[in-house]
Amino acid sequence: MMKRLVATLALATLALTATARGEDKPAKVTVGYLNLVNAQLVTKHLGLLAKEMPGVDIKYVKVGGGGDMLRAIAGNDVDFGGLGNPPTAIGATRALPIKGILVINMLDYVESMVVRSDKNITSLKDLKGKTVAAPFGSTTHYLLLQALKDEGVEPASMKIIDLAPSDIAAAWLRGDIDAAWFWEPNLDKAVKNGGKILVTSGDMARRGYPTWDIGVVMNAFAEKYPSYVEKFIKAECEGIDFWLKNPEKTAEIIAEELSLPLADATRMMKGTGMVPCNQQLTEEYLGTSAKKGKFVDTLVATADFLVRQERLPKLLPRAEFEAFIQPAYIEKVIGR
Amino acid sequence: MSVEASPVAIPISADRTRRGSWRLPTVSRSVLLSTLTVAMLLAAWAIVTGVGWANELFLPKPQAVWAALVKTMTKGYQGATLFQHLGASLYRILTAFALACFIGIPLGVLMGVSRNARALLNPLIEFYRPLPPLGLYTLLVMWLGIGESSKLSLLFLAGLPGIVISTIQAVTSVDPVYIRAAQSLGATRRHLLFHVYLPAAGPLILAGMRISLGFTYTVLVAAEIVAASAGIGWMIWDAAKFLLSDVVIMGLIVLGLTGVVLDLMMRGIAKLLMPWART
Repeated sequence: MMKRLVATLALATLALTATARGEDKPAKVTVGYLNLVNAQLVTKHLGLLAKEMPGVDIKYVKVGGGGDMLRAIAGNDVDFGGLGNPPTAIGATRALPIKGILVINMLDYVESMVVRSDKNITSLKDLKGKTVAAPFGSTTHYLLLQALKDEGVEPASMKIIDLAPSDIAAAWLRGDIDAAWFWEPNLDKAVKNGGKILVTSGDMARRGYPTWDIGVVMNAFAEKYPSYVEKFIKAECEGIDFWLKNPEKTAEIIAEELSLPLADATRMMKGTGMVPCNQQLTEEYLGTSAKKGKFVDTLVATADFLVRQERLPKLLPRAEFEAFIQPAYIEKVIGR
Repeated sequence: MSVEASPVAIPISADRTRRGSWRLPTVSRSVLLSTLTVAMLLAAWAIVTGVGWANELFLPKPQAVWAALVKTMTKGYQGATLFQHLGASLYRILTAFALACFIGIPLGVLMGVSRNARALLNPLIEFYRPLPPLGLYTLLVMWLGIGESSKLSLLFLAGLPGIVISTIQAVTSVDPVYIRAAQSLGATRRHLLFHVYLPAAGPLILAGMRISLGFTYTVLVAAEIVAASAGIGWMIWDAAKFLLSDVVIMGLIVLGLTGVVLDLMMRGIAKLLMPWART
């Protein structure tokens, strides 16, 4: 009885606040998250989003990679999603109704190219005639082609095949492939079974090709429920802070979420760069609404690369990519 | 045979000639009507996209699809021209289909002729027939790897049950009078097989082959999703990842047309081999 009373009161208060703001409350929020090692797992595990959005049905959907996430967004199956820079460049160019609102993570050695240690592969040139796998359209596919280009190795001199990360792990165990550029938690399976790391995504970032994942929101959702976009960011920021302040507890959460040994989870965590929300507004990342940061440069460079690869029809003007990055919500959350 | 058939055949032909005097010949009228359907569809597509009712991301203009076709034919898509993609797919389909016929028809004949063989093999066929081929694919990839063999096996397994079952049916429905007549004239088992069973069952077996080719065709895109780098199915899948819907639709049209041509070829072969069959 008491419980019911409290619940009714809570609902009434909520309804009041909602009407006071003149904004509806979504019945359900669907968050598509990438199968990666980052603080989104912490936010999900601790139920931080549910705390920010009481009374809202929150649904998490695990998505294998950027290509699938693009399809989910095009099909309007998610409200919030996460995308690496190549799928983001694709989505922005193809005018998908989304905006980038949050830095989910910067990619370091959590994404790497693994090669078979018994095949004498010490440089990218040794990949000639070998079979190399990467999930097409993802950050690693982009970096693979970029790295080959920088070293002057012709991609046609090897067999580059398209596999999902979990399929790469299976194909690796069978011995079907000689090298692969992909990410944790599956990367580790290849490394532990006769693989060694040749180059990491962090190495490529230092060479001027940073890769990252950005949180996106569907435009229609953001227009209808702007305060819920802020709530989403707030929850994710709490997750990021927890990650930075409690590395040990975070490792336990990651280990549990991905069914991994604790030691592996700890190592994978260190290969992912988490950016505290108050730093996301600096020049290095999103920048501010007035002056957008380096993420726009990365998007333009990525889109340009994809156009030259004939994966995109044309390079949009820089302004379109600037419009895609929307730091306004996170600015409000931080109180700037 | 002809005595039995004639009373049925006469009224139909009489009916046709009566009406045919003021209508177009049946064949050209069908062609006309079919053309009309296609033209209407194309017109609807052009109007819907032209007026701007459809988001170009999901339904590009016919011109865009045409441009994608021309570009893929001349410059290619990701390192292979349209004909190379088509060649890779046709090679997979036809090899798998040939294998399915090579194994499925003798198996079906055996199971049709011998009750013991049917009892022995039926549980296997009946169990795996309703299994969705895609469910098998994960296992095939684990067993056979990501190369051609798993793709060919998937296509083969998709085509096999249709052909086995229709062959069994074709053989068991052969009129026993033919068999007894041949036997009374001293036909051996070999004679029976090649001169009675196969010619009599041929038309039904062929119908089964056509259905089986269709089944093989439907799993093509699925087979080419895993680790292919050429093939129409792969091209569609890859283009979808980059939201290139013009290439996706172009690929689907090419797939559809190729399927129609393959089926026509099968019918042509049937007419050549079995002029007595009504296809």
